[in-house]
Amino acid sequence: MKIAGSYTLPVTPQRAYELLQDPEVLARCMPGTERLAKIGPDEYEMKMKMVISAVQGLFAGKVRIADQKPPEQFRLIVEGSGKVGFMRGDGLLTLSSASATTEVHYEGEVHVGGVIAGVGQRLLDTTAKIVIRKFFEKLAESAGQVVEAVAAPSSTPSPATPASDSN
Amino acid sequence: MATTITKTETLVGKRIRRQEDPRLITGTATYVDDIKMPGMHHACILRSPHGAAKIRSIDIKPAQDLPGVAAVFTGKDVEGVGPVPCGASLPGLRVPPHAILAKDRVYFIGHPVAVVVATDRYIAADALDLIEVDYEPLPTVTDPEKALAAGAPAVHPEWPDNTAFLYHQEGGDPETAFKEAEVVVKQRITSQRLIPTAMETRGVVAEYRSAEKSLTLYSSTQIPHLLRTLVSQMLGLAENHLRVITPEVGGGFGSKLNVYAEEALMGFVAMKIGKPVKWIESRRENFQCTIHGRGHVDYYEVAAKRDGTVLGLRLKLIQDLGAYHQLLTPAIPTLSVLMMPGLYKFRNVTADIVGVFTNCVPTDAYRGAGRPEATHGIERMMDLLAAELKMDPAELRLKNFIGKDEFPYATATGLSYDSGNYAEPLKKALDLVDYHKLRQEQKQAKASGRLLGVGISTYGEICAFGPSPATPAGGWESATVKIEPSGKVTVMTGASPHGQGEETTFAQIAADELGVPIDDVIVVHGDTAVVQYGIGTFGSRGTAVGGPAVYYALQELKKKIRKFGEMLLETTDVTVSGGQCVDNRTGKSVSLAQIAGASYRAMKLPPNTEPGMVATYFWEPPNFAFPFGAHIVVSEVDRETGHVEIKRYVAVDDCGNIINPLLVDGQVHGGVVQGLGQALYEQAVYDDDGQLITGELMDYAIPKASMVPWIESSHTITPSPVNPLGVKGVGEAGTIGCSPAVVNSVVDALSHLGVKHIDMPMTPEKLWNLVHQGGQA
Repeated sequence: MKIAGSYTLPVTPQRAYELLQDPEVLARCMPGTERLAKIGPDEYEMKMKMVISAVQGLFAGKVRIADQKPPEQFRLIVEGSGKVGFMRGDGLLTLSSASATTEVHYEGEVHVGGVIAGVGQRLLDTTAKIVIRKFFEKLAESAGQVVEAVAAPSSTPSPATPASDSN
Repeated sequence: MATTITKTETLVGKRIRRQEDPRLITGTATYVDDIKMPGMHHACILRSPHGAAKIRSIDIKPAQDLPGVAAVFTGKDVEGVGPVPCGASLPGLRVPPHAILAKDRVYFIGHPVAVVVATDRYIAADALDLIEVDYEPLPTVTDPEKALAAGAPAVHPEWPDNTAFLYHQEGGDPETAFKEAEVVVKQRITSQRLIPTAMETRGVVAEYRSAEKSLTLYSSTQIPHLLRTLVSQMLGLAENHLRVITPEVGGGFGSKLNVYAEEALMGFVAMKIGKPVKWIESRRENFQCTIHGRGHVDYYEVAAKRDGTVLGLRLKLIQDLGAYHQLLTPAIPTLSVLMMPGLYKFRNVTADIVGVFTNCVPTDAYRGAGRPEATHGIERMMDLLAAELKMDPAELRLKNFIGKDEFPYATATGLSYDSGNYAEPLKKALDLVDYHKLRQEQKQAKASGRLLGVGISTYGEICAFGPSPATPAGGWESATVKIEPSGKVTVMTGASPHGQGEETTFAQIAADELGVPIDDVIVVHGDTAVVQYGIGTFGSRGTAVGGPAVYYALQELKKKIRKFGEMLLETTDVTVSGGQCVDNRTGKSVSLAQIAGASYRAMKLPPNTEPGMVATYFWEPPNFAFPFGAHIVVSEVDRETGHVEIKRYVAVDDCGNIINPLLVDGQVHGGVVQGLGQALYEQAVYDDDGQLITGELMDYAIPKASMVPWIESSHTITPSPVNPLGVKGVGEAGTIGCSPAVVNSVVDALSHLGVKHIDMPMTPEKLWNLVHQGGQA
């Protein structure tokens, strides 16, 4: 399954880049994440609960960050497996500045297998979209809080809105 | 002595309700899952989540430690158990070793890897989650044409071309036919992979008695005796120490005409743990691990004259075999080739099959097994030729039919069609739809923007499998008929009916031959310890091959009845009728009950006659039988939604003599519904990673009652000369006749947009795109 889309975050690219690689922020924003811990340079261990259709289960896996070009782009490589199947994802995130905000463009491919592939197929697309949207919404929220706490911006950040999610 | 009921009315030919239905519709029938035994354990099977992977390691310890788990077995534990057998042989066939559990590599989604046995099914299922398998995923290929391309991942590393076999058949002089043709029509036609979806999934209960060294397998199968022979070989068990019992079978459609890993595996487990064990396949397992059907990509070419006379036929058939050969996998496409000329006088044919390995579950026989694909191909090609020549498709067919005075007819593919009158059902169907008026209506409808189409399919099929030299196992069938001392009649058939209704049709035959009420007859089947060896039920052979065996056993029995009758009546000239043996000179009679009683009591015996009233007959058919028919579909495509509405479905089937019209209608209805499934809804879809994404009934669309049109079923009757009943077989006819009629009607509805062919399933999305993109999909 191919995924692609973009989202606007109310912070500078540099800040967005940092947020997107901060395990604490990611753990807080990624729906279902129960644990995200650094286990090496640019490598994290993850535990995540996923619900797709009638199937739900705990995934354990690794997240790796590669091809870093701060603050413009990096690659996220995710691998997880659980009793209900496995997933592998590889995505490129590109950050571009637009006045006081950052547009994050993502593009990647997700492979799923096992029960989730056989059962949840029709809902996989929708589920992926929802998960990604929720992630960015929470991230935007976090970013807003962080931004306010650190240095109040001159104007109120516009609420983040999901842009064209497509597959 | 009981009162003798004299029966004069014959039952064959009557609409008699099925004897088996009361237990089936009141929920009192016994299926495998209804079997419960003291101390019975339950098995669940761990299956590969990958389309292809190496198994680096398996850790079963945590599963073994779960309270309630009795045993866990993996591939290395079952090395001594024989491979899953392939019964088909073709020259140069590559047969991958097919272990009952994978050892170091998995080849398709659902490939069995380990089995857990526990005190209940829930514990067994939970324990599966505790087994840690370290897989190294490998690239997969699930599309047969992609599998043939250079550089495709090798399903079996030892055969990088993914080719299991090449098969060529030729008749006449196709090269000259194509050279001399005035018109050649070509088309790529697919018959997509289908999931048989029997209502009852597979299931096995195995019980081993160590003191007797005897194993009993209860299995939901179509072939109890063949299963016994093959599983005993797999387990290294003496065949007479294995008993196979087939309780009620909730549908098979060919998917249970097989020997599966799980059948041997449960035998192995029961012998190992010394406890009865039950395994019931889940629906998801059924979709992933029970054989699929069809899976063809066909390239057709038809050579013809401008006047519509067909000259030659060329076919390249790419068969998606899946990762292994199941019992008949590689043989199925050869049936397509045999029937490729259909009902037409193609004297020059050539066909090449490429059998292709893919990372999918094996394909094998599914209702029609090779003939729906062949019929779909030739019936689409006839319509394409008619369109090319601007001829009426009915006229083109009538022009090219084998004539009714040409039987037996030797086809260019080496068959001898037994009997036929192919124009008759077509003419009857055309009358039923009022064809000429219908075409006028269609013209008006199209002029007003409606997408109305008429589709014709005239099919022929090979069934009543079959003469033994032409079948992988024997092709005969057996019957034993007993008259019990009380006069009640027991028929034991070697066929294994599972919904077809032979408990009724065979009782009708026996009741007529002996002149007893049908309620005095019971039909017994599906227990290798009770019933003489038999072949089974598949290929529309139950009545067409099993029926004659019953008939001939009855003739043998009647000889003995006459001998006892003559002795008791002290005469030499008797007739058996109406449940009596009648002295033709005096009119004096004795009842069958009296005769049976005397035969068992044996106070006195006729000369050279044994006591008892039992006869067994093994009947070898001299040929296949070839039913035929015409199906006409009127359909309308909704311009806004792409939905197909079947406005009329007319089926005129000729299955020879009809023993029970009610049951024949039932077979036609069921067959047509499965054909509609293929034409409109169903497709097994694997993604490029080898995941079966139509993995359950939420995603794999089978027709529901509300989606099925009224089926106007009628018949012509051309008796088969092959068997004494004159029957031809009807189990698969509906499926075979259906899909081309539906597709032809929809292509006809869209023909003015330039649409010439549509591959199945014709989903609303596909048709909407055709309508809205000017005929380009």
